[in-house]
Amino acid sequence: MSTSPITEPLNAEPTQATATRTGATLLVCLPSATAEILQTMRERLASALPGQTIFIAIPGGSVEPQSSDGITTIDYPSTSRTATGWALTAVDFLDSSQLAVEYDAAATLVLGAEATSLSMTGLQGLINAVLNGKADLALPRYQTGPHDALVSSSLLYPLTHALFGATAHLPLPLDAAFSSRMAKRLISTSRKPTGGTQSEPLVWPVAEAAVASFIVQEIHAGDRTLPQPSDRDLNELLAEIVGSLFSDIETKATFWQRARAAMPAKPSQEPTPVASQAEELQDVREMAENFRLAYTNLQEIWALVLPPQSLLGLKRISRAPAEDFAIPADLWARTVYDFVLAYHLRTINRGHLLGALTPLYLAWVASHLRRSAGDAAAAAFHVEETAAAFVAEKPYIVSRWRWPDRFNP
Amino acid sequence: MGQQIESALRQSMHRVLVVLVSFLPGVLVFLVAVILLTALGMFLAAIARRLLLAARFDERIASRETTDSPANFSDWAPSHSPTLLISRVILWACILLGVAIGISAVDASYSANSKLSEFLLPYLTHVLGAILLLFAGTLVARFLSRSVLIGAVNAQLQYARFLSLGVKWLVLVLTAAMALDHLQIGGVIIELAFGILFGGIVLTLSLAIGLGSRDLVSRSIEKSIEKPVTRPDPSPFPDTGETPRPKLRHF
Repeated sequence: MSTSPITEPLNAEPTQATATRTGATLLVCLPSATAEILQTMRERLASALPGQTIFIAIPGGSVEPQSSDGITTIDYPSTSRTATGWALTAVDFLDSSQLAVEYDAAATLVLGAEATSLSMTGLQGLINAVLNGKADLALPRYQTGPHDALVSSSLLYPLTHALFGATAHLPLPLDAAFSSRMAKRLISTSRKPTGGTQSEPLVWPVAEAAVASFIVQEIHAGDRTLPQPSDRDLNELLAEIVGSLFSDIETKATFWQRARAAMPAKPSQEPTPVASQAEELQDVREMAENFRLAYTNLQEIWALVLPPQSLLGLKRISRAPAEDFAIPADLWARTVYDFVLAYHLRTINRGHLLGALTPLYLAWVASHLRRSAGDAAAAAFHVEETAAAFVAEKPYIVSRWRWPDRFNP
Repeated sequence: MGQQIESALRQSMHRVLVVLVSFLPGVLVFLVAVILLTALGMFLAAIARRLLLAARFDERIASRETTDSPANFSDWAPSHSPTLLISRVILWACILLGVAIGISAVDASYSANSKLSEFLLPYLTHVLGAILLLFAGTLVARFLSRSVLIGAVNAQLQYARFLSLGVKWLVLVLTAAMALDHLQIGGVIIELAFGILFGGIVLTLSLAIGLGSRDLVSRSIEKSIEKPVTRPDPSPFPDTGETPRPKLRHF
């Protein structure tokens, strides 16, 4: 991932509320906080924003009067506490937004699990982007390596960027800051789980902000401990997350068919990996072998979703040796768009569809590992190349969405 | 002799004509019943469709469905519209009711001694039940075989296709046996054949999985044995000299 700080607003619409926000209340929600985390965050917030009126909401926190550092502790509604931990869910956004409206907060900062690992720069950047800047939604961009945040790099970021025109490398954030009008928007769009076995609903804040013409800003936040989902396997989680994004894309089809996305910034020349490829190649070899197995078994199902040209491309990849194993960015973009379309048209059962995407995603991961060879700059280049391909191929999804029955070789 | 033959033929012709004359009104009543009930069905289906569209039934159902549930209403409905499914069920229920009424009318007009409807109506319902069983069985077989295939491929099992085919044929054999049993065809032979086939498929699958999964099971056991061991050395592979491969973090 690129390490260059990103501070420019991404949606260029000006806002009129900038001046009035300065010096206003900040609400910090810590849904996963313990007493130790609260104490640490309290000290960091007091030093980051001296003289500001700050409310910190934690589960089970009793309402305390304002202390000398200007910080008041309030109760976070713990009855609806979710167990996700590694990303903010719709419940987190909904509860935080409701508190923001209740306490009339001009800016709200929601921090996920292991919040103390967020750098001071990141903390200040997120708060300032909303309080002093023009942003309605500020999302962090952490320092990640070539083996991190692979679902975001392959699917979530390219799709969100191409369709909603907002750059957010982690569209399913662990931390986020948003304005009061964004809080009202999130209240109207987020929903709580209906109970039973249904998984926790997710909300895609970047898409919501883009549809409402709000300003989204990505803040370079440095290193942070990224908690990983522990008790569930990749297939289940990938289906849940990608299904949620596809569903959001389906809901907002009228918006993204009109919206235009700028090509993501990437170096003109691909950086040469400095690391040895030998370690990566072992992973790639295993993954390429698994892809061959998947191609042999799943081509009938893929044939229901993908056009013959894409199937031919996948066939070539399945026969390639590990040293040359690579999914071209344009083929990957078209494949994902075909899956989005099949999800919309219910070509096959949605559970099957998302299950059939997993081997393709792992093939992209193998491709990414081979291209990056352990080098962060090369990995970032590949991610931006993928995002650029999604932007370039956007007319394909728009066309197929409007005329799905048109001949498509 | 000739007169006797002529008389016999005339009587036969007379009987045929009598039967035909008594049968034709029944056919007419049958057609009228089917047409009337079809029209009624179309009317009721149109009303149901309008009511459900006004109540946004499709959207309500879609919002309650999850992606991984096998019982998603929309997946079984034509054009993935539950409204369309319900309206078509109403239409076909009315048509079937018309057919049943028509058969009763034919039976009533055909002959006082005939017990056509007493035999035909129950058997017709059995045939209908068997068709529904076959239809549902085929859908379930396809759904399960795809689920098993995708699950097995994602679990990186070499024999994914074989497993999927085995599950598909298990369900199809079960469905066929149930349908034949429902039609009361074959009797004990069907039960025996089903038992042999089903048992054979299960045994084949068990052997295939058992033999094919040896490596998988041994790897799994090795992992579970190795897991509790804590390594005080910060380098997990000090002896081999290899650098540990970085772990993939998908999220």
